[in-house]
Amino acid sequence: MDNAQKEPLQSSLRVQELIYGLKISEVMTKKVFAVTRNCTMRDVQTIMKNNSITGVPVVDSRRVVGIVSMNDIMNALEKGAMDDVVTLWMVGEVQTLAEDMPLSFAISAFNKFSFRRFPVVNKKNELVGIITFRNINMALIRELSRQLREMESLHGGPPERSDSLDLVKVYQLHRYDFENGGKASSEIKKFLKERGIPPKIVRQVAVASYELEINLVAHSNGGMLSFDINADRIKISSHDRGPGIADVELAMTEGFSTANEWIRSQGFGAGMGLPNVKRVSDEFAIQSAVGMGTMVRAVINLKKEKKDEH
Amino acid sequence: MDLIRIADVLDAELVHGPKGWERIHIGSVFASDLMSDVLMSDRDAMLLITSLSTEQSIRSAGIVGAEAVVVANSKTVTDGMVDLAREQGLALFRTKFPKYESCVRLGRIMEG
Repeated sequence: MDNAQKEPLQSSLRVQELIYGLKISEVMTKKVFAVTRNCTMRDVQTIMKNNSITGVPVVDSRRVVGIVSMNDIMNALEKGAMDDVVTLWMVGEVQTLAEDMPLSFAISAFNKFSFRRFPVVNKKNELVGIITFRNINMALIRELSRQLREMESLHGGPPERSDSLDLVKVYQLHRYDFENGGKASSEIKKFLKERGIPPKIVRQVAVASYELEINLVAHSNGGMLSFDINADRIKISSHDRGPGIADVELAMTEGFSTANEWIRSQGFGAGMGLPNVKRVSDEFAIQSAVGMGTMVRAVINLKKEKKDEH
Repeated sequence: MDLIRIADVLDAELVHGPKGWERIHIGSVFASDLMSDVLMSDRDAMLLITSLSTEQSIRSAGIVGAEAVVVANSKTVTDGMVDLAREQGLALFRTKFPKYESCVRLGRIMEG
Protein backbone atom coordinates (compact mmCIF):
# COMPACT_ATOMS: atom_id res chain seq x y z
CA MET A 1 0.00 0.00 0.00
CA ASP A 2 2.80 2.31 0.96
CA ASN A 3 4.57 1.77 -2.29
CA ALA A 4 1.42 2.13 -4.26
CA GLN A 5 0.85 5.50 -2.70
CA LYS A 6 4.38 6.72 -3.23
CA GLU A 7 4.43 5.70 -6.86
CA PRO A 8 0.84 5.83 -7.95
CA LEU A 9 1.49 5.11 -11.59
CA GLN A 10 4.82 3.33 -11.52
CA SER A 11 3.44 -0.11 -12.21
CA SER A 12 1.21 1.04 -14.97
CA LEU A 13 3.32 0.16 -17.99
CA ARG A 14 0.59 -2.16 -19.18
CA VAL A 15 -1.80 0.72 -19.00
CA GLN A 16 0.70 2.91 -20.80
CA GLU A 17 0.69 0.33 -23.57
CA LEU A 18 -3.02 0.79 -23.95
CA ILE A 19 -2.80 4.50 -24.33
CA TYR A 20 0.45 5.14 -26.17
CA GLY A 21 -1.62 6.33 -29.08
CA LEU A 22 -3.36 9.10 -27.15
CA LYS A 23 -2.11 12.66 -27.18
CA ILE A 24 -2.30 15.00 -24.22
CA SER A 25 -4.57 17.28 -26.24
CA GLU A 26 -7.15 14.49 -26.52
CA VAL A 27 -7.24 13.95 -22.78
CA MET A 28 -6.77 17.38 -21.16
CA THR A 29 -9.48 19.74 -19.99
CA LYS A 30 -9.76 22.38 -22.68
CA LYS A 31 -11.84 24.84 -20.73
CA VAL A 32 -9.20 26.37 -18.46
CA PHE A 33 -9.81 28.99 -15.83
CA ALA A 34 -6.81 31.28 -15.75
CA VAL A 35 -6.10 34.68 -14.25
CA THR A 36 -3.80 37.53 -15.21
CA ARG A 37 -1.00 39.01 -13.08
CA ASN A 38 -3.12 41.84 -11.66
CA CYS A 39 -5.88 39.60 -10.27
CA THR A 40 -6.05 39.13 -6.50
CA MET A 41 -5.90 35.98 -4.45
CA ARG A 42 -9.55 36.54 -3.61
CA ASP A 43 -10.40 36.44 -7.34
CA VAL A 44 -8.68 33.10 -7.58
CA GLN A 45 -10.46 31.77 -4.53
CA THR A 46 -13.82 32.71 -6.05
CA ILE A 47 -12.94 30.98 -9.32
CA MET A 48 -11.89 27.85 -7.44
CA LYS A 49 -15.03 27.81 -5.34
CA ASN A 50 -17.44 28.44 -8.22
CA ASN A 51 -15.88 25.85 -10.49
CA SER A 52 -14.75 23.22 -7.97
CA ILE A 53 -11.11 23.36 -9.05
CA THR A 54 -7.92 23.42 -7.02
CA GLY A 55 -5.38 25.06 -9.31
CA VAL A 56 -5.48 28.18 -11.48
CA PRO A 57 -2.70 29.16 -13.93
CA VAL A 58 -1.57 32.78 -14.12
CA VAL A 59 -1.06 34.01 -17.68
CA ASP A 60 0.47 36.98 -19.40
CA SER A 61 -0.72 37.29 -23.01
CA ARG A 62 -1.60 33.59 -22.97
CA ARG A 63 1.84 32.48 -21.71
CA VAL A 64 1.87 30.68 -18.38
CA VAL A 65 3.87 32.67 -15.83
CA GLY A 66 2.75 30.92 -12.66
CA ILE A 67 0.14 28.80 -10.98
CA VAL A 68 -1.93 29.31 -7.83
CA SER A 69 -2.99 26.20 -5.95
CA MET A 70 -5.26 25.67 -2.98
CA ASN A 71 -2.15 25.63 -0.83
CA ASP A 72 -1.19 29.17 -1.89
CA ILE A 73 -4.73 30.35 -1.13
CA MET A 74 -4.50 28.90 2.39
CA ASN A 75 -1.15 30.58 2.96
CA ALA A 76 -2.53 33.93 1.86
CA LEU A 77 -5.65 33.43 3.93
CA GLU A 78 -3.56 32.75 7.01
CA LYS A 79 -1.67 35.99 6.52
CA GLY A 80 -4.86 37.92 5.78
CA ALA A 81 -3.47 38.79 2.35
CA MET A 82 -6.35 37.84 0.12
CA ASP A 83 -6.28 41.23 -1.58
CA ASP A 84 -2.66 40.78 -2.69
CA VAL A 85 -2.06 40.32 -6.40
CA VAL A 86 -1.49 36.71 -7.40
CA THR A 87 2.14 37.30 -8.40
CA LEU A 88 3.05 37.65 -4.70
CA TRP A 89 1.76 34.17 -3.84
CA MET A 90 1.81 32.07 -7.01
CA VAL A 91 4.44 29.46 -7.78
CA GLY A 92 6.50 30.68 -10.74
CA GLU A 93 8.58 28.59 -13.15
CA VAL A 94 5.76 26.23 -13.92
CA GLN A 95 6.39 22.87 -15.51
CA THR A 96 4.18 22.72 -18.58
CA LEU A 97 3.47 19.94 -21.07
CA ALA A 98 3.06 20.27 -24.82
CA GLU A 99 -0.32 19.38 -26.27
CA ASP A 100 1.09 17.08 -28.95
CA MET A 101 3.05 14.93 -26.49
CA PRO A 102 1.86 11.37 -26.01
CA LEU A 103 -0.17 10.79 -22.85
CA SER A 104 2.56 8.59 -21.42
CA PHE A 105 4.78 11.69 -21.14
CA ALA A 106 2.19 13.20 -18.83
CA ILE A 107 2.19 10.01 -16.76
CA SER A 108 5.99 10.25 -16.52
CA ALA A 109 5.66 13.89 -15.47
CA PHE A 110 3.25 12.98 -12.68
CA ASN A 111 5.70 10.33 -11.53
CA LYS A 112 8.63 12.72 -11.61
CA PHE A 113 7.13 15.84 -10.06
CA SER A 114 4.82 16.18 -7.09
CA PHE A 115 2.46 18.58 -8.90
CA ARG A 116 -1.19 17.69 -9.09
CA ARG A 117 -1.78 19.36 -12.41
CA PHE A 118 0.15 20.56 -15.43
CA PRO A 119 -0.82 23.44 -17.68
CA VAL A 120 -0.73 22.34 -21.33
CA VAL A 121 0.67 24.65 -23.99
CA ASN A 122 0.67 24.71 -27.79
CA LYS A 123 3.64 25.17 -30.12
CA LYS A 124 3.56 28.93 -29.50
CA ASN A 125 3.80 28.24 -25.77
CA GLU A 126 0.26 29.52 -25.19
CA LEU A 127 -2.01 27.96 -22.57
CA VAL A 128 -4.53 25.63 -24.23
CA GLY A 129 -5.53 23.24 -21.45
CA ILE A 130 -4.81 21.66 -18.13
CA ILE A 131 -4.23 18.03 -17.25
CA THR A 132 -4.85 16.28 -13.93
CA PHE A 133 -4.96 12.72 -12.64
CA ARG A 134 -8.67 12.82 -13.16
CA ASN A 135 -8.22 13.43 -16.90
CA ILE A 136 -5.85 10.49 -17.10
CA ASN A 137 -8.17 8.21 -15.15
CA MET A 138 -11.07 9.12 -17.39
CA ALA A 139 -9.01 8.52 -20.51
CA LEU A 140 -7.87 5.15 -19.21
CA ILE A 141 -11.38 4.04 -18.40
CA ARG A 142 -12.58 5.21 -21.80
CA GLU A 143 -9.74 3.44 -23.58
CA LEU A 144 -10.08 0.24 -21.58
CA SER A 145 -13.80 0.06 -22.24
CA ARG A 146 -13.21 0.61 -25.92
CA GLN A 147 -10.62 -2.16 -26.04
CA LEU A 148 -12.86 -4.47 -24.06
CA ARG A 149 -15.69 -3.88 -26.51
CA GLU A 150 -13.32 -4.60 -29.38
CA MET A 151 -12.18 -7.82 -27.75
CA GLU A 152 -15.77 -8.87 -27.18
CA SER A 153 -16.74 -8.23 -30.75
CA LEU A 154 -13.68 -10.12 -31.98
CA HIS A 155 -14.53 -13.06 -29.78
CA GLY A 156 -17.53 -14.18 -31.78
CA GLY A 157 -15.76 -13.65 -35.09
CA PRO A 158 -14.19 -16.20 -37.40
CA PRO A 159 -11.21 -18.16 -36.04
CA GLU A 160 -7.81 -16.64 -36.72
CA ARG A 161 -6.39 -17.85 -40.00
CA SER A 162 -2.75 -18.74 -40.18
CA ASP A 163 -2.36 -16.70 -43.35
CA SER A 164 -4.00 -13.63 -41.83
CA LEU A 165 -1.73 -10.62 -41.59
CA ASP A 166 -3.63 -9.05 -38.73
CA LEU A 167 -1.47 -8.88 -35.64
CA VAL A 168 -1.14 -6.61 -32.62
CA LYS A 169 1.75 -7.45 -30.36
CA VAL A 170 3.66 -5.67 -27.60
CA TYR A 171 7.13 -6.51 -26.33
CA GLN A 172 8.75 -5.21 -23.14
CA LEU A 173 12.44 -4.34 -23.20
CA HIS A 174 14.81 -3.63 -20.35
CA ARG A 175 17.94 -1.52 -20.14
CA TYR A 176 21.13 -3.36 -21.16
CA ASP A 177 19.28 -6.59 -21.80
CA PHE A 178 21.18 -7.22 -25.02
CA GLU A 179 20.40 -10.91 -24.77
CA ASN A 180 16.74 -10.30 -25.48
CA GLY A 181 17.25 -7.30 -27.75
CA GLY A 182 16.33 -8.75 -31.12
CA LYS A 183 13.76 -11.34 -30.10
CA ALA A 184 10.82 -9.20 -31.12
CA SER A 185 12.34 -8.43 -34.52
CA SER A 186 13.13 -12.10 -35.14
CA GLU A 187 9.58 -13.12 -34.30
CA ILE A 188 8.01 -10.45 -36.49
CA LYS A 189 10.38 -11.29 -39.32
CA LYS A 190 9.36 -14.94 -39.13
CA PHE A 191 5.67 -13.99 -39.01
CA LEU A 192 5.98 -11.92 -42.21
CA LYS A 193 8.22 -14.41 -44.01
CA GLU A 194 5.76 -17.23 -43.38
CA ARG A 195 3.03 -15.13 -44.93
CA GLY A 196 4.95 -14.62 -48.14
CA ILE A 197 5.83 -10.95 -47.74
CA PRO A 198 8.62 -10.01 -50.22
CA PRO A 199 12.13 -10.35 -48.70
CA LYS A 200 12.92 -6.69 -49.26
CA ILE A 201 9.96 -5.54 -47.20
CA VAL A 202 10.64 -8.17 -44.54
CA ARG A 203 14.17 -6.78 -44.33
CA GLN A 204 12.91 -3.19 -43.97
CA VAL A 205 10.58 -4.16 -41.14
CA ALA A 206 13.20 -6.30 -39.41
CA VAL A 207 15.84 -3.58 -39.64
CA ALA A 208 13.53 -0.82 -38.34
CA SER A 209 12.32 -2.93 -35.46
CA TYR A 210 15.79 -4.23 -34.58
CA GLU A 211 17.32 -0.74 -34.52
CA LEU A 212 14.49 0.39 -32.25
CA GLU A 213 14.97 -2.63 -30.01
CA ILE A 214 18.68 -1.91 -29.73
CA ASN A 215 17.91 1.73 -28.93
CA LEU A 216 15.55 0.69 -26.14
CA VAL A 217 18.10 -1.70 -24.71
CA ALA A 218 21.15 0.53 -25.12
CA HIS A 219 19.81 4.01 -24.42
CA SER A 220 16.49 3.95 -22.57
CA ASN A 221 15.46 3.14 -19.02
CA GLY A 222 13.31 0.43 -20.55
CA GLY A 223 10.16 0.56 -22.57
CA MET A 224 8.14 -1.29 -25.11
CA LEU A 225 7.99 -2.03 -28.76
CA SER A 226 4.63 -2.64 -30.32
CA PHE A 227 3.53 -3.90 -33.69
CA ASP A 228 0.25 -3.24 -35.38
CA ILE A 229 0.04 -5.16 -38.63
CA ASN A 230 -2.68 -5.47 -41.22
CA ALA A 231 -2.83 -6.20 -44.93
CA ASP A 232 -1.94 -2.63 -45.88
CA ARG A 233 0.90 -1.69 -43.57
CA ILE A 234 3.10 -2.49 -40.62
CA LYS A 235 3.16 0.06 -37.84
CA ILE A 236 6.00 -0.15 -35.32
CA SER A 237 5.94 2.01 -32.20
CA SER A 238 8.70 2.33 -29.69
CA HIS A 239 7.90 3.93 -26.41
CA ASP A 240 10.23 4.34 -23.47
CA ARG A 241 10.32 5.78 -19.96
CA GLY A 242 13.21 8.14 -20.45
CA PRO A 243 15.74 9.63 -20.19
CA GLY A 244 14.58 11.40 -23.37
CA ILE A 245 16.60 13.02 -26.14
CA ALA A 246 17.75 16.61 -25.61
CA ASP A 247 18.22 17.40 -29.29
CA VAL A 248 16.17 15.21 -31.62
CA GLU A 249 17.61 16.79 -34.74
CA LEU A 250 21.11 15.94 -33.58
CA ALA A 251 20.06 12.38 -32.76
CA MET A 252 18.77 12.06 -36.32
CA THR A 253 22.16 13.10 -37.71
CA GLU A 254 24.10 10.20 -39.20
CA GLY A 255 27.14 9.47 -37.09
CA PHE A 256 25.97 11.23 -33.95
CA SER A 257 25.93 8.89 -30.98
CA THR A 258 25.88 9.02 -27.19
CA ALA A 259 26.73 5.34 -26.91
CA ASN A 260 29.25 4.27 -24.28
CA GLU A 261 32.20 1.90 -24.79
CA TRP A 262 30.23 -1.11 -23.73
CA ILE A 263 27.52 -0.52 -26.30
CA ARG A 264 30.23 -0.02 -28.92
CA SER A 265 31.84 -3.30 -27.94
CA GLN A 266 28.57 -4.95 -28.94
CA GLY A 267 29.00 -3.61 -32.45
CA PHE A 268 26.57 -0.71 -32.09
CA GLY A 269 26.72 2.98 -31.33
CA ALA A 270 27.85 4.22 -34.72
CA GLY A 271 25.11 6.83 -34.71
CA MET A 272 23.18 5.21 -37.53
CA GLY A 273 20.25 3.75 -35.62
CA LEU A 274 17.53 6.37 -35.95
CA PRO A 275 18.60 7.51 -39.44
CA ASN A 276 18.48 3.86 -40.50
CA VAL A 277 14.95 3.44 -39.14
CA LYS A 278 13.91 6.50 -41.12
CA ARG A 279 15.68 5.19 -44.24
CA VAL A 280 13.68 1.95 -44.33
CA SER A 281 10.32 3.46 -43.32
CA ASP A 282 7.62 4.97 -45.49
CA GLU A 283 6.47 7.12 -42.59
CA PHE A 284 8.57 8.14 -39.64
CA ALA A 285 7.89 10.27 -36.58
CA ILE A 286 9.81 10.88 -33.41
CA GLN A 287 8.93 12.76 -30.28
CA SER A 288 11.00 13.16 -27.16
CA ALA A 289 11.18 15.15 -23.96
CA VAL A 290 14.00 15.05 -21.46
CA GLY A 291 12.96 13.32 -18.25
CA MET A 292 9.85 11.90 -19.81
CA GLY A 293 10.63 9.60 -22.67
CA THR A 294 10.87 9.07 -26.37
CA MET A 295 8.35 7.78 -28.82
CA VAL A 296 9.17 6.66 -32.33
CA ARG A 297 6.64 5.55 -34.87
CA ALA A 298 7.63 3.90 -38.13
CA VAL A 299 5.23 2.72 -40.81
CA ILE A 300 6.16 0.41 -43.66
CA ASN A 301 3.57 0.00 -46.37
CA LEU A 302 2.84 -3.44 -47.73
CA LYS A 303 0.93 -2.19 -50.71
CA LYS A 304 3.64 -0.03 -52.18
CA GLU A 305 2.99 2.42 -54.92
CA LYS A 306 5.67 2.08 -57.54
CA LYS A 307 8.61 3.17 -55.45
CA ASP A 308 12.13 3.79 -56.62
CA GLU A 309 14.22 0.67 -56.14
CA HIS A 310 17.66 1.04 -54.71
CA MET B 1 28.52 -18.79 -56.18
CA ASP B 2 27.64 -21.81 -54.02
CA LEU B 3 28.38 -21.68 -50.32
CA ILE B 4 30.49 -24.84 -50.48
CA ARG B 5 32.91 -23.12 -52.85
CA ILE B 6 33.28 -20.25 -50.38
CA ALA B 7 33.84 -22.63 -47.49
CA ASP B 8 36.50 -24.33 -49.54
CA VAL B 9 38.35 -21.14 -50.51
CA LEU B 10 38.35 -19.93 -46.88
CA ASP B 11 39.30 -23.35 -45.58
CA ALA B 12 36.38 -22.75 -43.23
CA GLU B 13 35.09 -25.02 -40.53
CA LEU B 14 31.31 -25.54 -40.60
CA VAL B 15 29.84 -24.71 -37.19
CA HIS B 16 26.22 -24.96 -38.22
CA GLY B 17 24.65 -25.57 -41.61
CA PRO B 18 20.98 -25.90 -42.45
CA LYS B 19 20.08 -28.87 -44.63
CA GLY B 20 21.43 -28.40 -48.14
CA TRP B 21 23.71 -25.54 -47.12
CA GLU B 22 26.27 -26.54 -49.74
CA ARG B 23 24.03 -25.31 -52.54
CA ILE B 24 22.97 -22.03 -50.95
CA HIS B 25 23.61 -19.29 -53.48
CA ILE B 26 25.71 -16.33 -52.37
CA GLY B 27 25.35 -13.21 -54.48
CA SER B 28 27.25 -10.65 -52.41
CA VAL B 29 29.78 -10.43 -49.62
CA PHE B 30 29.78 -7.87 -46.83
CA ALA B 31 32.62 -7.58 -44.33
CA SER B 32 32.23 -5.56 -41.14
CA ASP B 33 32.53 -5.63 -37.38
CA LEU B 34 30.14 -2.77 -37.02
CA MET B 35 26.60 -4.08 -36.76
CA SER B 36 25.22 -0.61 -37.47
CA ASP B 37 26.80 -0.93 -40.94
CA VAL B 38 25.52 -4.46 -41.39
CA LEU B 39 22.03 -3.18 -40.67
CA MET B 40 22.41 -0.56 -43.41
CA SER B 41 23.43 -3.16 -45.98
CA ASP B 42 20.60 -3.83 -48.36
CA ARG B 43 21.55 -6.90 -50.35
CA ASP B 44 20.08 -10.21 -51.35
CA ALA B 45 21.83 -13.57 -50.90
CA MET B 46 24.49 -12.04 -48.68
CA LEU B 47 27.44 -13.51 -46.84
CA LEU B 48 28.71 -11.65 -43.77
CA ILE B 49 32.35 -11.86 -42.79
CA THR B 50 33.03 -10.50 -39.32
CA SER B 51 35.54 -10.71 -36.49
CA LEU B 52 32.90 -9.66 -33.97
CA SER B 53 32.05 -13.04 -32.52
CA THR B 54 28.89 -12.21 -30.58
CA GLU B 55 25.25 -13.21 -30.61
CA GLN B 56 24.38 -9.78 -31.92
CA SER B 57 26.45 -10.47 -35.07
CA ILE B 58 24.31 -13.50 -35.81
CA ARG B 59 21.13 -11.61 -35.01
CA SER B 60 22.07 -8.68 -37.21
CA ALA B 61 22.91 -11.05 -40.08
CA GLY B 62 19.54 -12.73 -39.62
CA ILE B 63 17.73 -9.40 -39.50
CA VAL B 64 19.08 -8.32 -42.90
CA GLY B 65 18.28 -11.75 -44.31
CA ALA B 66 21.88 -12.87 -44.85
CA GLU B 67 22.38 -16.50 -45.86
CA ALA B 68 25.61 -17.19 -44.02
CA VAL B 69 28.15 -15.80 -41.55
CA VAL B 70 31.88 -16.44 -41.51
CA VAL B 71 33.68 -15.62 -38.25
CA ALA B 72 37.20 -14.55 -39.15
CA ASN B 73 40.45 -14.92 -37.22
CA SER B 74 39.49 -18.24 -35.59
CA LYS B 75 37.46 -16.41 -32.98
CA THR B 76 35.60 -18.56 -30.48
CA VAL B 77 31.98 -19.23 -31.39
CA THR B 78 29.62 -19.53 -28.43
CA ASP B 79 26.74 -21.99 -28.06
CA GLY B 80 24.34 -19.06 -28.02
CA MET B 81 25.58 -18.05 -31.47
CA VAL B 82 25.03 -21.57 -32.79
CA ASP B 83 21.51 -21.66 -31.35
CA LEU B 84 20.72 -18.34 -32.97
CA ALA B 85 22.11 -19.47 -36.34
CA ARG B 86 19.89 -22.54 -36.16
CA GLU B 87 16.88 -20.45 -35.20
CA GLN B 88 17.44 -18.03 -38.07
CA GLY B 89 18.28 -20.71 -40.61
CA LEU B 90 21.76 -19.31 -41.17
CA ALA B 91 24.93 -21.20 -42.07
CA LEU B 92 27.78 -20.40 -39.67
CA PHE B 93 31.49 -20.92 -40.34
CA ARG B 94 34.81 -20.17 -38.75
CA THR B 95 37.99 -19.43 -40.65
CA LYS B 96 41.58 -18.98 -39.53
CA PHE B 97 42.06 -16.16 -42.05
CA PRO B 98 41.70 -12.58 -40.88
CA LYS B 99 38.94 -10.50 -42.39
CA TYR B 100 41.04 -8.78 -45.05
CA GLU B 101 42.61 -11.99 -46.31
CA SER B 102 39.24 -13.70 -46.37
CA CYS B 103 37.94 -10.89 -48.58
CA VAL B 104 40.95 -11.03 -50.89
CA ARG B 105 40.54 -14.78 -51.35
CA LEU B 106 36.86 -14.45 -52.15
CA GLY B 107 37.52 -11.47 -54.39
CA ARG B 108 39.94 -13.50 -56.47
CA ILE B 109 37.48 -16.29 -57.22
CA MET B 110 34.65 -13.83 -57.83
CA GLU B 111 36.72 -11.97 -60.42
CA GLY B 112 37.90 -15.17 -62.06
